[in-house]
Amino acid sequence: MTRHARAIRALLAGTALLATGFSATAAVAQSKIAVITPYLSQPGTQFYVEAFEAAAEGKDWDVNVIDTAGDVAAVISRIEDMVTQNVDAIVINVDPTQVTAGLQSAKDAGIPVIGMDAGADPLLVTNITSNGYAMAAETATYVADRIDGAGNVVMFVFEAFPPVQVRGVVADAVFGNFPDITILDHVTPDVSDGGIADSRAKMEAILAANPEPGSVKAVWAAWDQPALGALQAIEAAGRGGEGIVITGIDANPQAREAIAAGGNFEASVAQDFKGIGATAADVVARVLAAEEIKQGSIYVPTQLITASNAAE
Amino acid sequence: MLTLLRRYGTLVGFAAILIFFWVSLPDTFMTARNWLNISQQMSMLIVVASGMTIVMVMGDFDLSVGSMASLAGIVAAILFTFDYPIWAAVSVALLVGLAGGAVNGLLISFVGILPFVATLATLTMLSGVAFVVSGGKTISGRAIPESFGNFAREGIALGDWGGVAVSLPNLTIVAIVVVALVWVLLEQTTFGRRLYAIGGNIEAAHLSGVAVRRLKLIAFSLTGGTAALAGIMYASRVASSNPTQGSGLMLNAIAAVFLGSTLSEHGEPRLLYTIVGVLVLGVLDNGLTQLSVDSYVRQILVGGIILLAVSTSSYARRLN
Repeated sequence: MTRHARAIRALLAGTALLATGFSATAAVAQSKIAVITPYLSQPGTQFYVEAFEAAAEGKDWDVNVIDTAGDVAAVISRIEDMVTQNVDAIVINVDPTQVTAGLQSAKDAGIPVIGMDAGADPLLVTNITSNGYAMAAETATYVADRIDGAGNVVMFVFEAFPPVQVRGVVADAVFGNFPDITILDHVTPDVSDGGIADSRAKMEAILAANPEPGSVKAVWAAWDQPALGALQAIEAAGRGGEGIVITGIDANPQAREAIAAGGNFEASVAQDFKGIGATAADVVARVLAAEEIKQGSIYVPTQLITASNAAE
Repeated sequence: MLTLLRRYGTLVGFAAILIFFWVSLPDTFMTARNWLNISQQMSMLIVVASGMTIVMVMGDFDLSVGSMASLAGIVAAILFTFDYPIWAAVSVALLVGLAGGAVNGLLISFVGILPFVATLATLTMLSGVAFVVSGGKTISGRAIPESFGNFAREGIALGDWGGVAVSLPNLTIVAIVVVALVWVLLEQTTFGRRLYAIGGNIEAAHLSGVAVRRLKLIAFSLTGGTAALAGIMYASRVASSNPTQGSGLMLNAIAAVFLGSTLSEHGEPRLLYTIVGVLVLGVLDNGLTQLSVDSYVRQILVGGIILLAVSTSSYARRLN
């Protein structure tokens, strides 16, 4: 019989094991907010979520962060569970078109869903993100200003990816407003290896075709990788001293390092991930206070990164 | 008593989990709506686990089901971008699944490679093919026909339950049909009995005239086919396709079969017990999410429960 008892005890231990998970959930809070993402292990997402939690601290919220470890279908499942649980608001960081099933069930239940750099969608109250148009305008005007509104500019663009495509459109508009700026080429690099190597190869070809010093005044890149590739090409060709101005967008660590070094790569734009998280918390508070949010997208300002602040 | 515990320990544990959630979540857990949600959430895993049961009955594994699910989703989505009708794209994706499974079967039964090694290799290859075919990108948005995405959102209306409109989701219906078919195949046909014979003693089965190689080939093809079907269901649910999206299915399917096998007389996999295994995993995910338990703690608990169930079962068997 003792053997049986032991086996039963082992079974009961399972229930005890379950119970250990719940100690923290007893606290009663006024508003239940669920933050659901498949991407918590990615640095950008971590910044949003941490900033969201920090901003939520002063408020009377019970914030439940759910990571589905890359599984997008599980995001739908967890949204459904949160709808069942009748939470007060849901914040997502995932492409809304992929979780429409979950968003629909939230809408049917009258639960507001806010996007945290998710993408605009009619089923979201609003989406908090960086302004891609403004980021491109920031670097394009920097370039135009640095070359005194005159000279040949090489543009690195990428039409296939919508968020990057808009950057190219805006830069074209800015350069088009300067009659003495000529766009030498719109280059679309092959990004299958990350984009740096092919951008370098394409830039080397352009430099070879334009050997006169001053025949290329600037390189405007829609993101950082082509800017880094162009920088390598210019340095390898021994033309680093011509004052060719390079700009990128995103301010990734490698780009910041290059900008801080004070060479041709002069500027990039950083998204304010923490600001996106904090703004999302602010928007949730406004939605809970029954304020109507009119914009489908709420933009968080970005920051121009130059040699003076690249190391920050 | 001991036999009862060994056979029904997992069931008792499952009941304990259910009661625990019922008590902790009195308003939301034991509701028709929530259970239909769970059935929909688990439908893809049910289909993969059913297919996995077919090969595990013979004592084999198929590690490639997750990659196969991803690839099938990608194949269907790529065909959508070329304006193929839905039925054609889905059929081709299912055929890819059957063919991939047949390759596994050939490697294992005719070339003689261990299932673990053979399907590990095809796991990597199928995943690579999914990346190559899709260019590593997520196919979504307008490329996916609206009615394909709507399929996973719709169902058969069951009327009002306590003021809430409830419907039986299409994905759940697909899962039920697959379970019914696989159950008949494994439990009611000579084919199924022969698979169990292979699992019991492959030498004896061979000597008594069972066409082991041919049966294995067919079994692995079916597993590949169910994996592809699950991948298509996944693609419909997220209205998009990504070369890695099925990867989580494989380990959960194996876990469900193991959990279920603790319920059977000799520890062999049985389809309906596999479904109990899937439900344990699904109910844990659903209930713990509703209780706001940290998603990482959830993973630890799920692993712990599998260990507990399997060790209770084998411990009791040893005492017997």
